[in-house]
Amino acid sequence: MGAVAAIRASGLGKSYGSGPPALADVDLEVEPGERLGFLGPNGAGKTTFIRCALGILRPTTGSVEVLGHDVATDRLAALAQVGYVPGDLGMIRQVSGRRMLDALARLHPRPPVLRDRLLTALDLSQADLGKRIRDYSTGMRQKLGLVAALQHDPPVIILDEPTAGLDPVMQARFLQVLDERAREGRTVFFSSHVLGEVDELCDRVAMVRGGRLLLVRDVDELRRARMRTVEVLFDGDVDPATYRVDGMGDVRVEGHVHHFTLSGDPGPLLTGLGPLSPRDITIEAARLEDVFRSLYLGDGD
Amino acid sequence: MGVVLSLALMRSMRRTLLLGIALGAFLFLVGLSYSSVDENQIRSLVESLPPALQAFVKGSDIASPSGYLGSTFIHPITLSIMAATAIAGGAASARDVETGVAELMLSRPLRRTAWLGAELIAMLVQVTVVAVMGLVGALIAITTVDALAPVSAGSLFLTALPLWLLFAGIGAVTALAASLSRTGAKAIGWGTAFALVAYALDYLAQVWGVAEPLGPLSVMHWYRPASILGQGTVPGSTWAVLIGVALVAGALALAITSRREVAP
Repeated sequence: MGAVAAIRASGLGKSYGSGPPALADVDLEVEPGERLGFLGPNGAGKTTFIRCALGILRPTTGSVEVLGHDVATDRLAALAQVGYVPGDLGMIRQVSGRRMLDALARLHPRPPVLRDRLLTALDLSQADLGKRIRDYSTGMRQKLGLVAALQHDPPVIILDEPTAGLDPVMQARFLQVLDERAREGRTVFFSSHVLGEVDELCDRVAMVRGGRLLLVRDVDELRRARMRTVEVLFDGDVDPATYRVDGMGDVRVEGHVHHFTLSGDPGPLLTGLGPLSPRDITIEAARLEDVFRSLYLGDGD
Repeated sequence: MGVVLSLALMRSMRRTLLLGIALGAFLFLVGLSYSSVDENQIRSLVESLPPALQAFVKGSDIASPSGYLGSTFIHPITLSIMAATAIAGGAASARDVETGVAELMLSRPLRRTAWLGAELIAMLVQVTVVAVMGLVGALIAITTVDALAPVSAGSLFLTALPLWLLFAGIGAVTALAASLSRTGAKAIGWGTAFALVAYALDYLAQVWGVAEPLGPLSVMHWYRPASILGQGTVPGSTWAVLIGVALVAGALALAITSRREVAP
């Protein structure tokens, strides 16, 4: 690998005492400009991975680099490239939002060039910023954390369940902001268990379970590989064998309605159905959620 | 470092000012009460007390102006206010780890030692503010109560300085405990235990012959305000021990924090 990765973890592991490792032998590479969804159930090791990548925790084995800077030996240079929103966002409650933002801005070498745009996008007014953080709602605190993380326009954005506490409108706006940053070439590392968001935003997903990396795939590739549910309505009696294609299964006929599952590309099926002139076809979109469920319910091994 | 320091001072400002006002008012009121003291009655009263009670004033002549004012510097109220300031300030880093503030700060390009260094300086500033406000209360007392005229402002300052050092040391010990803790409560518990054990050991060494050799092990043993006020000098051993405790505990806290994990 010649190019510098945005994030590169090699053999990363983290153990506490004699229990099972929180993270075991994780190799993961995130390319610059990529949007990677980091998926896993609670306790899977997502936050531990992120904290090791930021030098908040010290890995037991392996190493992490951020844009070529080894976090163990060159932490400050690595963090100068990062904007981070922690899952448990801690803020100093006695100070105003503005003072907190200013303080966090001064800790970063990059100027807060995006602050005003982010405040507008996330509906945080100057009056809101003047209030003490202890008077903020959970959602407002979360918005402040998002502005604090992104205000420097960092090349690498690391988010640990960032939309928790945001209402659906704000979630959508925030995803839009991330989409814009990604289009500008910023790397987005998006840890979540909200599959819809990852599905909407990310190009690639990495899935972890029990501290181990299960898979790293393109979202489209995963979708294509998944089973879809298909329903076809004909005007008269049709034998399913007349349009059968590879990947069809569980065929059930109820009057003129045929139900079945389909894995892989639906193109050949549509070609086969064309001459039969079906009145209606419903192909339920393959969702990342199905992949996630099947992996975590056991058939992903 | 300046950013963390200003945030630490801002969030502790109200508490520090309240504690400072309380200490200033207490030292002023105790000084004011000296005008109603009958020296001979007080002296005979103290002499009639059992050694266990006399030890609370560390054997000083509390009927004299310097002894009376000096005893207020080791009064449980003074010690409690100073301890609350030092321990709350010293435990701040553990509280920050617990609440996720440390994670937020240290995910920026900020050294752990700079972060803790700022917290330690903030603790020192808080202890200084409260000690100075107490000193101001005592200074007002000596300028308004004629009977306290023999006590000079200089000797009062010289008495307050080791008090500041004593609690800077207790704050540093609490910061050391905080560098080993993930919760503020645990650090406060260790800091409080250190102060209480130090107080108890010093007290026992005065009232119980068997425990007397253990007295110097207590940091409180080295602070004798009445004799400082009376003699106008602070023994070199007092400086050495109080500065030593603060420096060693602070250095250990920094060394441990430079290696520690700061996740909640």
